[in-house]
Amino acid sequence: MRGGTVRFVLRRLAQLVPVVLAIAALNFALAKLAPGDAADILAGQMGHATLEFTEQLRREFGLDLPILEQFLAYMGRTARLDLGISLIQQQPVAELIADRLPATLLLMVTALVLAIATGVALGVAAARRQGTWVDNLISVSALLVYATPAFWLGLMLIVFFSIRLDLLPSGGMMRIGVAQTALGQVLDVARHLILPAATLGLFYAAVYARLMRASMLEVYGLDFITTARAKGLSEGTIAWTHALRNALLPVVTLAGMQVGHLLGGSVLIETVFGWPGLGRLVFDALVQRDLNLLLGILFVSSIVVVLVNLAVDLVYGFLDPRITHK
Amino acid sequence: MTIRTVSRAFAIAVIALGAALPAAAQKKGGTLTYTFHPEPTAMSTISTTAVPVSLVASKIYESLLEYEGPGMKPLPGLAESWTVSKDNLAYTFKLRKGVTWHDGKPFTSADVKFSIEKVVTPFHSRGKTYFGQVSAIETPDAHTVVFRLKSPVPYFLRDFQASESPIMPMHGFTADEIKEGKFRSAKIMQAPVGTGPFKLKEWKKGSHVILERHPGYWKAGKPYLDQVVLRVIPDGAARAIAIEKGEVDLAPMSALPPAEAQRLGKLPAITASQDGNEGLGPIMWLEVNNRSKPLADVAVRQAISLAIDRKRLVDVIWYGQGKPASGPIVSGNPNHFDRKLKPLEYNVDKANKLLDAAGYKRGKDGVRFKLTQNFLPYGEEWVRQAEFIKQELRKVGIAVETQSLDMGGWLKRIYTDWNYDFTSNFTHNYPDPTIGVQRAFISTNIKRGATFSNSMDYANEKLDALFVKAAQTADGPARNKVWEEIQAILRNDLPVIFLMEISYTHVWNKRVHGLITNGVSMYSNWDSVWVD
Repeated sequence: MRGGTVRFVLRRLAQLVPVVLAIAALNFALAKLAPGDAADILAGQMGHATLEFTEQLRREFGLDLPILEQFLAYMGRTARLDLGISLIQQQPVAELIADRLPATLLLMVTALVLAIATGVALGVAAARRQGTWVDNLISVSALLVYATPAFWLGLMLIVFFSIRLDLLPSGGMMRIGVAQTALGQVLDVARHLILPAATLGLFYAAVYARLMRASMLEVYGLDFITTARAKGLSEGTIAWTHALRNALLPVVTLAGMQVGHLLGGSVLIETVFGWPGLGRLVFDALVQRDLNLLLGILFVSSIVVVLVNLAVDLVYGFLDPRITHK
Repeated sequence: MTIRTVSRAFAIAVIALGAALPAAAQKKGGTLTYTFHPEPTAMSTISTTAVPVSLVASKIYESLLEYEGPGMKPLPGLAESWTVSKDNLAYTFKLRKGVTWHDGKPFTSADVKFSIEKVVTPFHSRGKTYFGQVSAIETPDAHTVVFRLKSPVPYFLRDFQASESPIMPMHGFTADEIKEGKFRSAKIMQAPVGTGPFKLKEWKKGSHVILERHPGYWKAGKPYLDQVVLRVIPDGAARAIAIEKGEVDLAPMSALPPAEAQRLGKLPAITASQDGNEGLGPIMWLEVNNRSKPLADVAVRQAISLAIDRKRLVDVIWYGQGKPASGPIVSGNPNHFDRKLKPLEYNVDKANKLLDAAGYKRGKDGVRFKLTQNFLPYGEEWVRQAEFIKQELRKVGIAVETQSLDMGGWLKRIYTDWNYDFTSNFTHNYPDPTIGVQRAFISTNIKRGATFSNSMDYANEKLDALFVKAAQTADGPARNKVWEEIQAILRNDLPVIFLMEISYTHVWNKRVHGLITNGVSMYSNWDSVWVD
């Protein structure tokens, strides 16, 4: 890595600190705006709790303290990267997140790779045959998939592949209580991953296919493509070697920006497929007003999103050497 | 034939079969997989008594007694016998010898005293209701426990259910946890050590829990099952698919959406039943703010009650998964429900006449007055029910606006702000109406911030006195008379509009046997459940 890039990365990492802390402060304010607290929820869930019991919970959770005191304690902890204890589950938030994060990352990365590979390939194919039935088929299909709600698509895939054909499991991440070899486990998880990753990936594949098509058409109109054609290069070489690299930039930008969106989208997919990831945890934390857990997940997600955006900036330089990091 | 009658016939057949056949008919081994969502947050009901925790913890922990039938007849459990003093102020339990914890250490009377005094009474949400009258717990020897009471508690022998009064090992808590009172966050909440038929083998958060047979269990030859597995499936439709495919054997406690429960219950391989909840007594009503006109007027509340077709509500909104309510006590309670009571009347003409007579004339638009309704944020059926109620009340000239809130917002508005007109609500009778019914209607429980309390501001001195009398009278005909009076008063005053005995539907694959044993069947330890 060149010296300029290293300095760029270090400077960007240093800039992250105030950004992430500002996000943390905003999250706290937003979470506190919601009516009701974890003591009410837990007492309500348990049914027939006395008022004294609810107040005892509130004291245990520190929710009886003045809001400024709660905020300062929270910011102090966050600055030390201490995410605290989940109010409802009474376990360290970091442990709860560490339990779920790998599953979500596996699902997200698989879906993203699938989406980019499929989207780029289809986008290029459509652009190369602009106006033909191939282009129309790809464009209309992409529009249809884009307009289909992900949870419905997921249920339909379950009905078809799991119930009708009995090919794939309907949910979960692995077979439970069955002794397997290491390879067996990997294959088992892969089998369980196919439907949720496909459901999540298809939506983004449709987005990327449309974007890639437009971007390729734009590049096709540039002079260097005319030059390449005049040199007698084959259409395949022009598309995959010359045009693709230039046309990829918007897709990379969008993919980077959508990581946060993808985290949000995984809530629905994880729900439909019973995938043991972060998505469901964040939903439960929100509904149960589990402030520490909710803020912890938001904090970790904001770090992931900010880091991915940094990575995207670095990929720019790789795709287009004219872009330098200063 | 309805699902209910089929399932009841099936349950009776199962019980009869269990009694008639020799033990050899019950197969040993195999795994029972059930599904529920949300997933448990702990493995002990001291952390929370929420349904998912009660389901799993009741297989791991036991209490002094076990229970039989819908009337919850006490049977020996960790206590092999008990005696009650003549004045009903001393209960002496003889503990079973040779019982070991999952870690192999012996169970003694010190564990019982510690659990009830230090853990259950202060930290279980109903601990003070159960044991608030206990003045002392004595342990004359390692296998005897004496509870001394300040005044008689008629339901005392129903207190010892596994999910309500779990006996926990004193050695399972660290000295620091005990000293600092950190019971809810104690390590044992996540890594349980009980005396029950099953012990924790694996808990993969967000995915599954595996319980395996406790080889040293004190009941010879039990449990029949090798494993009980919980699969966490967050989506209702996906849970139904898992049951239909046979990937999961059981969806307890209304884990399936009502429409799916009704559909699957008709399949030949599957049973849907609402039996086995009598000890919980779930009931649903419209909670009504009695503070201001027009709802402070009893005639208005009676008119609202008359305007709602409960049978249609049950059949259309809830797909037949329940029955119209007759009052505050569920009809499945064999001890305290007044059998003479009929479901509340549906009569739109009478409702209109009542409102006319009370002086609420219709305006030009046909509207007498406007009300705002909230609903429990428990899922789409509750939204559809709110729409149904709105339509029913429109027929008698009451215009209703519906407001949606999530659980945190709902609890705050109803129980802290008291800022509502009416809302759907769902609560339990629990093993005794003094525990479950009294708290909603007694005027001493009009307390701002107390969830599921008397949010209505309903105060009736005569009723208060009857509740006190019922709490101090030994169970029997005299006490039942008091409960009959209470039911009559509440049916007339209608501080809430009793809607429906909503019950819980359990859906299971017919390869599973012996699930329904008592009034809290899903919170029982399943040591006699077996699979084909």
